[in-house]
This record gives sequence, structure tokens and C-alpha cells, in this order.
Amino acid sequence: MDGMIERRTLLATGAAALVVPLAPASAQQAPPPVITAAAANSPNGGVGQVTAFLRIAPDGRVTFASPVTEMGQGTHTSHAMIVADELDVPLAQVTVVAGQPEPALRLQPVNEMYSGASFGIRFWHDRIRRACAQARGALVQAAAERLGVAADTLSTAEGRVTHAASNRSVPYAELVEAASRLPLAETPRIKPAAERRVTGRAAPRMDIPAKTNGSAIYGHDIRLPNMAYAVARLSPVFGAELDGFDRASISAIRGIIDVVALKNGVAVVAENSWAAMEGAKRITIRFKPTPEQNLDSAELSRRLRAGLEGGPATRPRNDGDVDAALSGAARVVEATYEVPFLAHAPMETENATVHIQGDKVEVWASTQHQDWCARDAARVAGVPRENVVIHTPMTGGGFGRRLHTEVVEQATTVAKAINRPVKLIWTREDEFAQSYWRPAFAAKLRAAVDAEGKVTGLAIRAAGQSVMGDYRPALFAGPLRGNDPFALQSIADTRRYDFGAFRAEWHRVEAAPKVWLWRSVGGSQMCFFLESFLDEVAAATRKDPYALRRELLAKDARALRVLDTAAQRGGWQSAPPAGRHRGIAFVDLYDSLVAQVAEVSVTGNEVRVHKVSVVIDCGDVVNPDSVEAQMQGSVIWGLSSMALEGVTLKDGAAEQRNFDTYPILRIGSAPAVDVTIIRSGERTGGVGEPGVPPVAPAVCNAIFAATGRRVRSLPLASQGLNV
Amino acid sequence: MIDLMVNGQARRVDADPDMPLLWALRDMLGLTGTKYGCGIAQCGACTVHVDGAPTRSCQTRIGDLAGRRITTIEGLHPEGQHPLQQAWVAAQVPQCGFCQSGQIMSAAALLAENRRPSDADIDAAMAGNICRCGTYPRIRAAIHDAAAKA
Ligand code: FES
Ligand code: FES
Repeated sequence: MDGMIERRTLLATGAAALVVPLAPASAQQAPPPVITAAAANSPNGGVGQVTAFLRIAPDGRVTFASPVTEMGQGTHTSHAMIVADELDVPLAQVTVVAGQPEPALRLQPVNEMYSGASFGIRFWHDRIRRACAQARGALVQAAAERLGVAADTLSTAEGRVTHAASNRSVPYAELVEAASRLPLAETPRIKPAAERRVTGRAAPRMDIPAKTNGSAIYGHDIRLPNMAYAVARLSPVFGAELDGFDRASISAIRGIIDVVALKNGVAVVAENSWAAMEGAKRITIRFKPTPEQNLDSAELSRRLRAGLEGGPATRPRNDGDVDAALSGAARVVEATYEVPFLAHAPMETENATVHIQGDKVEVWASTQHQDWCARDAARVAGVPRENVVIHTPMTGGGFGRRLHTEVVEQATTVAKAINRPVKLIWTREDEFAQSYWRPAFAAKLRAAVDAEGKVTGLAIRAAGQSVMGDYRPALFAGPLRGNDPFALQSIADTRRYDFGAFRAEWHRVEAAPKVWLWRSVGGSQMCFFLESFLDEVAAATRKDPYALRRELLAKDARALRVLDTAAQRGGWQSAPPAGRHRGIAFVDLYDSLVAQVAEVSVTGNEVRVHKVSVVIDCGDVVNPDSVEAQMQGSVIWGLSSMALEGVTLKDGAAEQRNFDTYPILRIGSAPAVDVTIIRSGERTGGVGEPGVPPVAPAVCNAIFAATGRRVRSLPLASQGLNV
Repeated sequence: MIDLMVNGQARRVDADPDMPLLWALRDMLGLTGTKYGCGIAQCGACTVHVDGAPTRSCQTRIGDLAGRRITTIEGLHPEGQHPLQQAWVAAQVPQCGFCQSGQIMSAAALLAENRRPSDADIDAAMAGNICRCGTYPRIRAAIHDAAAKA
């Protein structure tokens, strides 16, 4: 024990209160979390076993086990802010650690601990507040009993309960034991916005100092006694299995320990990373043939385009009679767009460290999905699921990539084979080849316009692979019955624009490459299609692109405010500086609304994005500085992908294997980003992803304004345009 | 055995002279602040100083470093309070942070020879460092801030 007093009842109940009402009965009846504080104060901060949700130590320090991974969005700091605010303790007294998968930390209804869908605040904010409000209520009640006064004569601040009338106060730490025996209020009093003193104001992130001096420990940095280093060599063709390898081909490399066969490759194990990496690079290896080993980008594009013309489709939206609107239209505007596969390319490549001791397994993984890590490690090691401990160190970028846990399966395979703790890392080359990409997509859009230039109907047919089909195949084939909510995300699942009649349909394309959630998921391509197309409609009807969007959003005051603010910040109504042109775009994603105005100049084939004005309405705001950082990062992410990025296929495999062929935007091309946050007080929305989708259409619309050239395929580089 | 001078200390590693400095630092000397991002001198995550010059440690053989002074992020300042480290915290630069050791080492080399870098100077000196999280606006602001205070 580390001297920290366990407050089992309070904490267990507080944690249980985090179980979401949507939970299936089995999840709600799950036993309360077991509190084992033993390894809570591990020196690596994030690398520590913690199964408690919220603990108050004798010195008043509060430790909160976060249900999400800190991937650089500052979510752990935001969680600390919510705790400090609702519990009335100083922010500096709150420590946030990465939690273990356990009932209270799981997202419902899937009942898994993972970080995705911009859920860090939008899902957890209210739940953390409620648990803290319950804890505060119990502390106040305990103080009332101790001081012999009524609870409603007490106030809380700075980690103390105070009775002003008698000038007495008690620190929380002295009340925890008594409070832990009290029942928790079912409907605790949660602070209204006006009483919040910590959230809503910029606070410095807790993880930043360690990220400036080399002391932050990421998955790549885990070092255990007697640990071996392994580097994978995987098939570049999706689905191709290992056929064989020649161990002798690398026997000359000093420090090689073993070569372990994996499903789709090998792991070369050595006494240091470099020997393992050299071995992985040089080993003679053969893969089995697959049916799609000749797939190339031209064939994939043919499948996408064919899917626009016919074949089965799901149709999540069919409002009014689009066909009648189109056939009766004074004019029909039509355009077809296409976008490529995109890689996540987080700076830290996939990795996991696994230590098997008897029937216990410890895993260190920079992961977004702790439950799947535990599942995979348990299965491979052949131990019960509850014998696996998951440590989540700092994570060098997630972006959806780390919802995938294949590397844990591989590392466990190696650890079992060599009977030593092992750290397995992927090379950048395998990271690109096996990234599980953002799917390539095509879409055809048609708009019906009447004689007055008013849009009376809009139809979109999109074709692409199914993210949900690869991410959660059972859910996709079962309850979803082949509908993929990601396929038409941000246009079929929102009702902001009023097009009159509206139809949205998606044809599933099949291909061997795996596709996955990539920052903003379906919004990344759908917003490009729709917002570029609206610009085409504006041009065809000789309307100002901003004015057209105002018309279509006329009934939606919240959306109009976001759009208008962006137009204002971006100077839409005034002439741009000489040689510059503007484009505008809007998205509704994960409960947040974002509009952007891009200011661009084009000289020959050189495109320069000078400035992007971003406006976000994410409802409530916890740490405005983190919101700003996410908007800046989202703009650069979106610009990088639309300008430079794309995975092309040849012989069934990615042609891009490193940053020389898959360039990422560099500092010299990064625009100024002006961020405005609208605090509408609406339901809390996501922040990590909604800033991404509008970038591509805003920039392309500005290029059109500058040149009259409409970009319908990305990236810009593939169209001869350099950023 | 290879003798290296790292962060002012003489260190000896038992490794092949072909081993890139990156892996000697990380695996043999436990200095994990220097990161692997690409292994081909494209991302800058592995940037250290060799005799003060920004150097991609993934492409630098330890066998070539006899008598050279190597500085890593851990040795940039004894308390981690180099003006750039302070500016990085003040501007809240890092997101995931994985690229930031390399960013700071590149920026430190720039400031060492150019006390008032222009935007163009920053673009040139920092062009080899990718940030996938898109912290470039804050990196630029932090470098200007550190330069102004120096
Ligand atoms: S790891 Fe050396 S430049 Fe990328
Ligand atoms: S902060 Fe994540 S890569 Fe730069």
C-alpha cells in the first residue's frame, strides 16, 4: 500500500453511478470495481495499475482514473478540471491516471473501455460531474453529522466543507471515511454553469511539461528488466498470410534472438531494436497468394465508379420526392467526386509490450481500446480475461488508428514464444502498409433547382468500403443489417440544411484493404462532397456561396450563428487582400457545428493557404485552450490530407511506405488559424474531429474562386496543384 | 565497445559501430526522449545535436561519433528550463508530444546561431520536423517568444 486510504464504498458507488442508463442489464449488474491501489503511484504516471475511479488521500489529493486515453487532446486535464470544479478541490490537487478496463469506465451500450467518436468530453463530462456531485454531497452530509448542523448550512470550497455561521471547517480528507458509509444521492445537485469556477477557463495541460524534456513515457519507451526487442515484418498485401521465412538469412546480424511466426508475417526478436529492425528488413520471407494481390488503384476506382451507377444500396434518408424534384427542375446540377485511401500515420508507430508471468499478463500499449487489448492478450496467452492488466502510457497520436489492437495479439504471441517480456514495434513501412485506411470513396450528387434558383431537392449516391464492416463486423452484419452509419456520416445523420427533397444512399464496395475510423470518419469525405457541391450549385445559380448556405440553413438559428460568425471572422463581406480568394464550408459532426473560411492565393500551380478562420459551437467548453489547439491541429490535419496525402495501390499493396512518398504538411505550408468558440450552452459536442471535414471543401472552394477550376478529386497534388 | 560523449558524460556502449545513434541512445543508454518516427531522415523525431548541429540520429552511425559531443533533449538544459522549453510550456505547444523532442532540438540549434529568426528562417530550420498533430502555429509562436526573451 502506498499510504492512500481506500474508500471502498464511496468510490465503488461513485463509480457504479457512472454506468450509463443505456447499459444492457448485464453491464448494470456487473460487480462494483475492485479497488487495488497497490501500484497506483507508479513512477511513470500513466503507467500504473489503478482500478479505482476516484480516490481522496489523507493529504487531500484526489486521484481520478480516466476512462479515456490521453492522445494529445488534453482530455486528462479536462477531466481533472471537471473533477476540481464539481468536487470543489483545487485543480493542482487532482491527479489523473489512465484507468483499467472495468465497468464504470466502459462506454455503453457496447460495454467497452475505449476512446473514440470524440467522446472524451461529450460522453464523459456529465457522468464525471454527476459522480463528483454525489461524492461532494456525501462529504457535506458527513460534515453535517460531525458538526451537528444541517447540510444546507454548509458550503464547499478548496477541498473543505465550511460552516460559515460558526466559522468551522473540515478538510475532505477527514470526512472521506464517514462519507463512504453514506448512501449517494440518485439525483445529486450538479453545479449550474454560473457556479463553475474551473471549467470554461483556459488551464495549462498537466501532460505538457514532460513532453518538453523527454521524460514523458510512450509505448515505444517502455523498458522492462530482461526485455527483448521485437520488430515486425508484415505482408504489405492485406490478407496475405505467412508462407515461410529463412532464419539463416539474418543469422549474421549480431544480437538476434529468435524469429517468431505471425499470421501475416514474422517478428524478429533481438537484444536491441536496431538488430531486430535490420533483421526484419533483411529476412527472406514469403507470403501466400491472395485473390486480390493484383488489385491496383485503377481497379479500385473502377469499382467505386461502378457503384455510383448501380447495384444495391442502403438509403438512410429519403425525404420527399427527390425524383419528382429532379424531373421537374428548371435546372439540374450534377457532379462526381472521388477521394483516396488515407493513412493515419501517427508519429508513434504501432507497438505493445507484453510480460507473461504464469497465468498473469501485463500489457503496455499506446492504445485507444483497452478492452480489446485485454481480450486479445488473454486469448493468445490462454489466460482468463481478468488476469490481464492494461497499462496505457502516453500515446504518440491516435486519430482512430489505435482502436485497432492487432499489435497486442502479435506481441503476446512473441512473449509466449520466447518466454521473456518483449516490446514489439512496427516499422514506419508496416505502419503505412497496414494502417487500416480511411476508405477511398466516390459520390455523385445532383441538385434540383427551380426557375428562381432555389434548391428543391438534392440526391447523393456514394460508393465505398464499409468502415463499420471492418471495425465491428458482427454489429454491422447483425443489428445494423448492413447499414453503416459512418458511410454517409455528417450528411445523412443531420438535418441542418433544408434541401426540400433529400435522398442519401450508399453502395458498399468490397476490396481486400481494411478500412477504419480515421479522424472525423465519414465526415472526412462526405463534407468534402457536399460542401464542394453546394459551391457548384452556388456558381450555377450565380449566388454567393455564403448566401446560398444561409438560405439552406434559414430555419436553424444555431447553425446560422456559426456560419455567420465564420463569415465575419473570415472577412467574407469585405474584399480580400490582393490576389487572395475565399472559400467557405460547414459541418455538423459529433454534436458540434463548425464553419470555416479559407483564404487562399493561387499562382500557376502553387496554392498558398494563408489563413483559415474556424468557428466551433461545441455547446459547453471545459478547456478553451484545448479547443483552440484542436481546431488548429484539425485545420493542419485536414489541409495535409487534402493537399498531399493518398495511398495508392499497386499489386495489392500500398505504394507509399514512409514519409518520403506519403508527405505530411510541414511548417512552411501551415496557415494562420483563427479560432472562435461559440458557447451556446447546448449539449456538449466533440472537439477532436469536427474541425477536420470543412478544411478540404473550404480550400477547394477558394481555389475555384481564384481560378474557376473545380477540384473534384483529392489530393491536390494528384491534380497538379502544390501546397 | 564504442565510446560516446552524451550530455557531457562519457558513455560506453557494447554495440556494432553501424548501429544508428538513435537506438544506442534509446535501448542502451535509456535516453528515450529521442524518438523513432521514420528511420529515413524524413520526420525529425530523432533530432539530437552533434557538436551543436541538429542531426538525425536515425541516420548517424555510432562508429562515426568518436570525440563528438552529443546532446539529447534530456541534456538540453539541466533542469529542463531552456528558454525554448519554457516557451513550449507557456504556449502549450505539444499535443501528443511525440515529435516535440525533435522540434525543440531543431529550434534550439536554430536559436543558437540566429537569435532573432524570421518566419522564413523558422520555416527553413524546422522543415525537417513533421508534427502530425499540427502544432506548427504554436511552435512558431514559441520560437519567436523564446527569441524575444533571450
Ligand atoms: S526517425 Fe530520424 S528522421 Fe524520422
Ligand atoms: S505533437 Fe503529436 S506529432 Fe507533434
